[in-house]
Amino acid sequence: MFYDSRPKFQVSVNQTGEVYACAVGESLLAGMIRLGRRGIPVGCVNGGCGVCKVKVSAGRAEKLGPISRAHVTEDEENQGFALACRFGPASDLSLDVVGKIQKAFGIGLSK
Amino acid sequence: MGILRIGHVSLRVLDMKAALDHYINVIGMYKVMEAANGHVYLKCWDEWDKYSVILTEDKEAGMNHLAYKVEKDSDLDDLKKKIEAYGIAAKIMPEGTLPSTGRMLQFNLPSGHDLRLYAQKEYVGTEVGTTNPDPWPDNKHGAGVHWLDHALLMCELNPEKGINKVAENTKFCTEVLDFFLTEQIVVGPGGAIQAASWLARTTTPHDIAFVGGPRNGFHHMAFFLDSWSDILRAADIMGKHKTKIDVAPTRHGITRGETIYFFDPSGNRNETFAGLGFLAQRDRPVSTWTEDKLWTGVFYHLGEPVPSFTEVYT
Ligand code: FES
Ligand SMILES: [Fe+2]
Repeated sequence: MFYDSRPKFQVSVNQTGEVYACAVGESLLAGMIRLGRRGIPVGCVNGGCGVCKVKVSAGRAEKLGPISRAHVTEDEENQGFALACRFGPASDLSLDVVGKIQKAFGIGLSK
Repeated sequence: MGILRIGHVSLRVLDMKAALDHYINVIGMYKVMEAANGHVYLKCWDEWDKYSVILTEDKEAGMNHLAYKVEKDSDLDDLKKKIEAYGIAAKIMPEGTLPSTGRMLQFNLPSGHDLRLYAQKEYVGTEVGTTNPDPWPDNKHGAGVHWLDHALLMCELNPEKGINKVAENTKFCTEVLDFFLTEQIVVGPGGAIQAASWLARTTTPHDIAFVGGPRNGFHHMAFFLDSWSDILRAADIMGKHKTKIDVAPTRHGITRGETIYFFDPSGNRNETFAGLGFLAQRDRPVSTWTEDKLWTGVFYHLGEPVPSFTEVYT
């Protein structure tokens, strides 16, 4: 990994135990992808598809851009639900992955 | 003669400014008008009708409706009767429902997707005109796509519950709208379940496609490019603009198309699609991809599952 001097917060993915450093102003998903880590499903990375849906269980996240209300309603957002591609860390935080792996072509899991 | 070709896609975006930057500077479209309600209309340089994409700012991403152009105004009345006889409600929306567009026949596919047919749209001409036209215009920019080529819709497929909107849409489109099947994916015992289908009205491998997934939605719309070198150049432009690429340049086994999948700034998937693939004809035998080889059909080189193909859409 290259040296990266940006200020960061620690992000923990509860289900997998994965912990990674996410830069301030970088999305939770982008930080994970940058480090080659896994845990949160990656989709459009633009707030539209909802596969990166998470729930922040401890700590704070800040919103970086618009999200599709088809996947996170305003109510849900107030309860801590977020799209990992449109929220960045505002403190060290822990999150649960909500998006789930679906069947491909109706024939079992694709991974 | 019925349906000629794909006409336009009306798309929801979360941020109009970001969407315009993408569709104009990355895809290479031209903004042709902005309606009083803020909807923005765009076209590609090689299209002669006024627009092929409508962008509407909304709280959700995804498709509002998909439209096809028919040859004659009377086709709308003929098709309305056929659609109603099939048991699907259809209505005529008066001229001017969309600007620069004649009356539209509106109905929902069995999957629930909003489909529109129209016979008239304002003619504005291509960017190279009709008199001694150059092969491409000097004001070509971005990926410089020729035209909107096709759309792929995700349709609910749940074999355990006996739900297969892919098969229902395919049956309706062939029997009523007179599309013909070019390729399909079949799964399950004996290949009894049609899990995806590609259908044509033109001579290209598909003008519409349906893929089975957990819920209905918009998978992608594709824009035409000439060649593999144009695909490479389009990917360069996406790199330059930090466009999120879903699947880097490769080839589909199905349709043989040379492709890039990528996302617009609201997460709607786009495709740049190059190559003739094959000459689609009504009497051409249908190609069938089986459960064990279906990922080779989807992405020919690696032939491995790409989960985003069936899970990520708007
Ligand atoms: S990856 Fe699509 S909404 Fe985050
Ligand atoms: Fe496509």
